[in-house]
Amino acid sequence: MKNRPSGFRNPWLQLGLSVVCVFASELLLKRGAREVAAPDDALSWTGINGLASPLVWWAILLIIASFITWLYVLRYIPLSLAYPLSRVVDILVPLGCWIFLGELISTLRWCGIALVIFGLALVAQPIARMEERL
Amino acid sequence: MTLLAFLLILISLVTFVAAQLILKRAMEFSATHGMRNSYFISRVAIGVVLMTISFFLTLGLLQRFDLSYLYPFQGLSVIFITILAAVVLKEKISVRLTIGALLITAGIVLVSMS
Repeated sequence: MKNRPSGFRNPWLQLGLSVVCVFASELLLKRGAREVAAPDDALSWTGINGLASPLVWWAILLIIASFITWLYVLRYIPLSLAYPLSRVVDILVPLGCWIFLGELISTLRWCGIALVIFGLALVAQPIARMEERL
Repeated sequence: MTLLAFLLILISLVTFVAAQLILKRAMEFSATHGMRNSYFISRVAIGVVLMTISFFLTLGLLQRFDLSYLYPFQGLSVIFITILAAVVLKEKISVRLTIGALLITAGIVLVSMS
C-alpha cells in the first residue's frame, strides 16, 4: 500500500464508493423490477423485460461504476481486507429495504446484522490504526 | 435440493471467487507494468467472463430457489476469498481478520435465514 494516492483517488474512499454504488443499484433494481413486473409474460423469467424501466438502467450504470472502482481498489488494497469490508453492503441492503422500501426486519435478521457489524469492526480496526499512523 | 442445483450453486461460487483472485492479480500487475499489455487485458477479460457466468447462473438459480436460500452461499464467498487470498496470493492474514471474516459469513447466513 505504498504510494497510496490521497484525496478522491484514496483507495479506501473508492472502496466506500464501490459499496454505495452496489447498495443503490440493488434498491433501484428492486424498485425497477417491481415497476415493470409482468409474471404472465413469457419473457419475464429472463429478467430482460426489466430493461423497460429507467430505474433498471440507472442500476446498470451504477453496477458498472462499482466494478470500475472495485478494480481500482484491488490495485492498492489486499483482497483479504477489501472483500470482507465490501460485504458491509450485506447490512446496508436490508437496512435500505427497511428504510426506503418499507420491508420488515425480523429479530433473527437484526442478530445477523449485528454479527456482520462485529466482524467488520474486527477486520477494520487494525486498518484504522494503521491509517492514523500515516 | 437436487445434485444439479448443488452443482450449479458450487460453480457460481467457484467462478465468482476465481474471478476476484484473477482480477486482483491483474490489477497488481498493472501497478508495475501498466495496462497496455496482453497479460493484463487477458486476465481482466477472464475475470469479467467468470463473473458473467456466475451472474447468469445465479439469475437462473433465483428463478428456482428463494433468495434467502441462495444468499448464504454468497456469504461463504467471504471466508473462501479471505483464505484463498492468503494461500494463492500470499497475502498475510491475521487471526483477527480470519475471525472477522467468519463473523461476517455467519452474519450473512443469519440475515438470509430469517
